[in-house]
Amino acid sequence: MSYAEQFKKMGKGFDFTQALAEADRCLLCHDAPCSRGCPAETDPGTFIRKLRLRNVTGAIRTIKENNALGGACGVLCPTPRLCEKECSTTGIGRAIEIGKIQRFLIEHGWSLGFKAYEQPVPRTEKAAVVGSGPAGLSCAAELARQGVQVTVFEERAEPGGVIRYGVPAYRFDKAFLKNELQDLKDLGVKFKCNSRIDGAEGAKKLLGSGFQAVFLAPGLWGAERLPTKGKIKGVYTSVDFLAALREERFEEIGRQVKGKAVAVIGGGSVAMDCAESALKLGARDVYLVYRRSYAQMPAEADERQAAQSLGVHFLLLNQPTGYTTDGSGRVKGLRLLRTRLGEPGTDGRRKPVEIKGSAWTLEVSLVVEAIGNRPDPADWASLAKVDGRGLVLAGTKNRKTSARGVFAGGDLVRGPALVVEAVQDGKLAARAILESLK
Amino acid sequence: MLSKKPDLSIDFCGVRFKNPFLLSSSPVSNSAEMVAKSFEAGWSGVVYKTLASGRWPIVHPSPRMNAYHYGSKQLMGLQNVEQISDRPLKDNLLDFLYLKKHYPDHPIVASLMGFSNDDWEYLAKAAEDNGADMLELNFSCPHMTIEGSGHKVGQAFHLLESFTEVVKKAVKIPVMAKMTPNITDITEPAVFAKKGGADAIAAINTIRGISEIGLQDLVPRPNVFGVGAMSGYSGPAVKPIALHFIADLAKCQDLGLPISGIGGIETWVDALEYLLVGAATVQVTTGIIHFGYRIVEDMIEGLSDYMSSRGIGRVADLVGQALPHLQETDHFDLARQGVASYDLDRCIGCGQCLIVCNDAGGQALEWNARKRRPRLVEDKCLSCMICSFVCPVHGLISFKEMPKGWKRRETAVMDPGLEAGLKLAPLPVDLKR
Repeated sequence: MSYAEQFKKMGKGFDFTQALAEADRCLLCHDAPCSRGCPAETDPGTFIRKLRLRNVTGAIRTIKENNALGGACGVLCPTPRLCEKECSTTGIGRAIEIGKIQRFLIEHGWSLGFKAYEQPVPRTEKAAVVGSGPAGLSCAAELARQGVQVTVFEERAEPGGVIRYGVPAYRFDKAFLKNELQDLKDLGVKFKCNSRIDGAEGAKKLLGSGFQAVFLAPGLWGAERLPTKGKIKGVYTSVDFLAALREERFEEIGRQVKGKAVAVIGGGSVAMDCAESALKLGARDVYLVYRRSYAQMPAEADERQAAQSLGVHFLLLNQPTGYTTDGSGRVKGLRLLRTRLGEPGTDGRRKPVEIKGSAWTLEVSLVVEAIGNRPDPADWASLAKVDGRGLVLAGTKNRKTSARGVFAGGDLVRGPALVVEAVQDGKLAARAILESLK
Repeated sequence: MLSKKPDLSIDFCGVRFKNPFLLSSSPVSNSAEMVAKSFEAGWSGVVYKTLASGRWPIVHPSPRMNAYHYGSKQLMGLQNVEQISDRPLKDNLLDFLYLKKHYPDHPIVASLMGFSNDDWEYLAKAAEDNGADMLELNFSCPHMTIEGSGHKVGQAFHLLESFTEVVKKAVKIPVMAKMTPNITDITEPAVFAKKGGADAIAAINTIRGISEIGLQDLVPRPNVFGVGAMSGYSGPAVKPIALHFIADLAKCQDLGLPISGIGGIETWVDALEYLLVGAATVQVTTGIIHFGYRIVEDMIEGLSDYMSSRGIGRVADLVGQALPHLQETDHFDLARQGVASYDLDRCIGCGQCLIVCNDAGGQALEWNARKRRPRLVEDKCLSCMICSFVCPVHGLISFKEMPKGWKRRETAVMDPGLEAGLKLAPLPVDLKR
């Protein structure tokens, strides 16, 4: 299989018959606990009932009115611990596959040419959205549906943020994103790509140039690094590694990993994506290096299992400490110290404790560091209050920051979070912005 | 104690069938090749696809069927505009000879459709002379438009009687008349068939229906190049209706003929219900269209095990056994009343019972939102049992009888204060009992 085949397209979802059969299994609960389980209030209880009663366009409308990224959430949500976890059907069998039904309905709408949104009544107010990831897109859609003139500023070449550049295309592809973005364009949302808003100063400029409100949702594109002296060839951050694949630089990365040993450092969803991608690019061995154990990994259970079944070696209880290099400054090995689990930390997870004298070196040709992200641009403090990690503080109900006219959401506020949570931030901010425009 | 295998065979008008399961006259019995396969699968006999004399050419419309789906459940019903056999009479008779040669223990019932007295006589003789063990007179095809044929005969009683008479005079083998359900009282034509000499009644043929209308082209289905037609509807959806026709025939004092039951049979349970209301054999088409001939294996095994479990040795001992329990509604003992009973330990909290009780029942349920459980207020329960029909946990809600003297609370009026504005004349004296 070519790289393109493996990387450019995601797998097929439900067809009509499958979706209807799944909706038929739904118990149509009186109190729809699934709907309570959705952080973005997408309301599966209602859209599944509508599908069941053959009100298919109505079902699509319910999703899109509640969640402008209903398609993306249908594909990317960890549904087993959200809506599907609450499903009453688990009392007599397995949960309804809500994510798959949701994805089907959105795709079915595209195939019908069905438009869920009505033509908005135009207003004169303008709003700026910084960042075109899930939070930004959600906010932009909500505002545009009310007629506000919205401009989205995106640093990279194309809109989408983390769902364009931060997940592999086999999990969420360009064609799908393009369709979902079309609904925003139809609403009149303007996109300005290759336009970096450089922190506090940039935001202040927007407020001074005719935008009555600014929503900050630039995500976290700065990477946490292992402390090293100088730049080492063959060491990537997860941000750069995944973005390179989304820019389809397969040959360039492929050359570096084919037939070789690769280490991915980290235990989160991003680390799993990087490890899987390295294997698909032809790496001989991919080691997932994590300082705690399997149960403490932040990645979803199904992602962990998928990586393991694909053949990723889980190198648990090993703390990376640095690199060895060859004469040309290229990485040759990853220095490790074995650990054991100690007492639980403040987050409830047992902390890794290094075992003295256990140092060893894993020979590798390429390393991907997937150990966390931080804001980039980093300077928001001169605009609004931030926390110790540099994350912007915003109200939980309205996403207002301490700065007048400035709202914020998504990873910049929450730290690494789910797409569906970012969508909710966008909705909350949009409601507050509309309130502020009155 | 090990059980003895029950005998599934049954005598029907002097013809022995090794089990009560027959193919009905339809696409599933169109040729010897097909019928032979069905015999290998276990079907005891066939009502072969309706023969005609060949005076008029038979052309099937295209397409000729349409499925009625319910949600994701496929083929709840089936509509067809299928015609009688379009094969030459000679070919069909040659197939009779083949089947008699290779499957002598499997009776052939020849279904016939004539268009005149001569026609009926000619066909009947031809069928008998080439090995048919029995005849079935098709007085019931629901989409014939020619007067004096198909269900038009079934609705014209004297014509039905005289055609039966013609056939009976022409042959020695038993004759069964197949009835249309597209009529108010099915026993009327059946009694006329008996007067004409019929030895048995087959029922029902398909019910005239419209299974679907195209929402873009507005053409009822099947869409035969822009035209739809009311035509025969069959399958599981018609079974309850068919069973009442069978019971009517079986209870008819003036009739007293053996019945071959048809309509929506897929499983041994369906077949057994037909036997219990008075059919001695059953015939199947739509079930085979859905699942193939193989379903007979499960019908045989299922019926056999049921009979073993109840110590019933012969199929004939089942025929009509439910009829004594089937009465008009004035036989009910209205002094005995009950309510729904909930086994809440098994409840999964979906609340569908609450919704239907509120919107279609007695508003007898309260809801504990925190625990996600219903609570029944017994004296408001109507015992309609609709809650149990929607409950996803089998057997969680059951019916229980209340003690003698228990009274259901009357439905309260919303505002008794409105009585001053009530316009209601006193009941006329002659209406009082």
